[in-house]
Amino acid sequence: MEERTVVTSVPWGPEPAPAPVADRPSATARVLGGAAALVLTTGLYVGLAVVPPDAVQGEVQRIMYLHVPSIVTAYLAFAVVFCASLLYLWKRDLRYDAVAVSSAEIGVLFTGITLATGSIWGKPTWGVWWTWDARLTLTAILFTIYVGYLMLRAFAEEPQAGARYGAVLAIVGFLDIPLNHMAVQWWRTLHQPSSILRPGGPSVASVMLVPLAINFAGLVLLYTYLLLERIRLERVRRRTAELTLKRGRRG
Amino acid sequence: MQAERRGLGVLRRTWAMTWKDVTVELRARERVNAMLFFAALVLFIFNFALGPDRDKLREVAPGLLWLAFLFTGMLGLGRSFQAERENECFEELLLTPGDRESIFFGKLAGNVLFMATAEALILPLFGILYNLDIWDSLPALALVAFLGTVGFSTLGTLLAAMTAHLRAREVMLPLLLFPLTVPVILGSVRATEAILSGAGLSGVSHWLKLLGGFDLIFLVVSPLVFEFVLEE
Amino acid sequence: MGNWGFIGLAYGLAALALVGYLVLLKGRLRSARDELEALERDGGRRKA
Repeated sequence: MEERTVVTSVPWGPEPAPAPVADRPSATARVLGGAAALVLTTGLYVGLAVVPPDAVQGEVQRIMYLHVPSIVTAYLAFAVVFCASLLYLWKRDLRYDAVAVSSAEIGVLFTGITLATGSIWGKPTWGVWWTWDARLTLTAILFTIYVGYLMLRAFAEEPQAGARYGAVLAIVGFLDIPLNHMAVQWWRTLHQPSSILRPGGPSVASVMLVPLAINFAGLVLLYTYLLLERIRLERVRRRTAELTLKRGRRG
Repeated sequence: MQAERRGLGVLRRTWAMTWKDVTVELRARERVNAMLFFAALVLFIFNFALGPDRDKLREVAPGLLWLAFLFTGMLGLGRSFQAERENECFEELLLTPGDRESIFFGKLAGNVLFMATAEALILPLFGILYNLDIWDSLPALALVAFLGTVGFSTLGTLLAAMTAHLRAREVMLPLLLFPLTVPVILGSVRATEAILSGAGLSGVSHWLKLLGGFDLIFLVVSPLVFEFVLEE
Repeated sequence: MGNWGFIGLAYGLAALALVGYLVLLKGRLRSARDELEALERDGGRRKA
């Protein structure tokens, strides 16, 4: 659902657009950015000031309102990378590849935030900054896979080949996630079991769901805004590369 | 009938591909010799890194064994498309008639073969150097090693074909392959650990299932996407 | 560090990362656009 909207609203035409390329953020992007700022401010306020502290963990549990939405957004970003990569291999349209590489970069950003907040949350709860707990480990693996993806893109010599290799890696990497999940689960289980997605309904006090939902909506808005801007950058860069190549050929 | 003939064709071409790599290897002995010597060195170096305390070594032995397997395998994978790249005959490889899958499976079979050869040497040497009784549980260990090696080599062959065209290819292959093969590494090391401490195959059935599942998924997916890697 | 210290650290780091990324992205956009513009101007002159 999400990825479809993103793909179709890519704000440029099918063939090399006329001169001033992607000069300013599109109207959609500006609206999304504003909405993200608004929703995240509300979420921050509700999560930090309105909702009562957790009965067991106390105040520190408020980190969850940031930690959980940010990993869900990261997974969303990687799902977009996967879909865009499949579409690229199928249609051979470099615009899909621009979506893939942009979404991967932002996904890595959100994964990094998840790791940092998880580690900070771990210190007062478990007494250590890092523990090889199942889900933190899985997040770290995810981080390394997609950092690898970005490095692969940076090292590819020609854009077409880079796009193909990237798409292949994105597909393999995404299919690898459930296997990693199983492996890490069996290896280690210390984390509180996933409490929202558990069969039998949410066990988090329903009042906590409010800031979670607000922040999730805010981060998804922010993700979409960043994605549109990052795609714009990709578009400018590709146009530059194209022009340079043409000039070089002409002499 | 038609399908059967096609299947046989794929098999024959796969065999030709593997045979080519094995023949080259038998003549030049570049890869396997280096792998074997490297493996011996790794076992040697671990000893210095960890000290001679026998109990401590026994505790970390399964991990060390697999590190030796994987590093050695990585060395072999890095060279698996070397000949094609150096002689610039990727195009010729593409001109071979028939499906691209046979190129993939041919390369994969060669890589598994080379890695297994190295493992066959590492395992007894490891048993001797680290005072481990591996002989009773040899069949179980071999099964785990086989499943792990196939999984590692499947993704390894795919990524080696990809990184062969990159700048900094020596760095990129391990950088991409290790994170993707975490399930293989975890599964193989844990299963080996359980087997060495006396658990039978039934005690490690869930790890075997994980390894088998990994192998199956990527044996199906890799040849499908391999086509996009080779394309010029 | 008290509870609120950890909360501040977590939210602060996240905000820093997000805003930092946005600022860097805008910077990258600006320099990419400048480069393209220069290239286009240059090309126009050469053509004329």
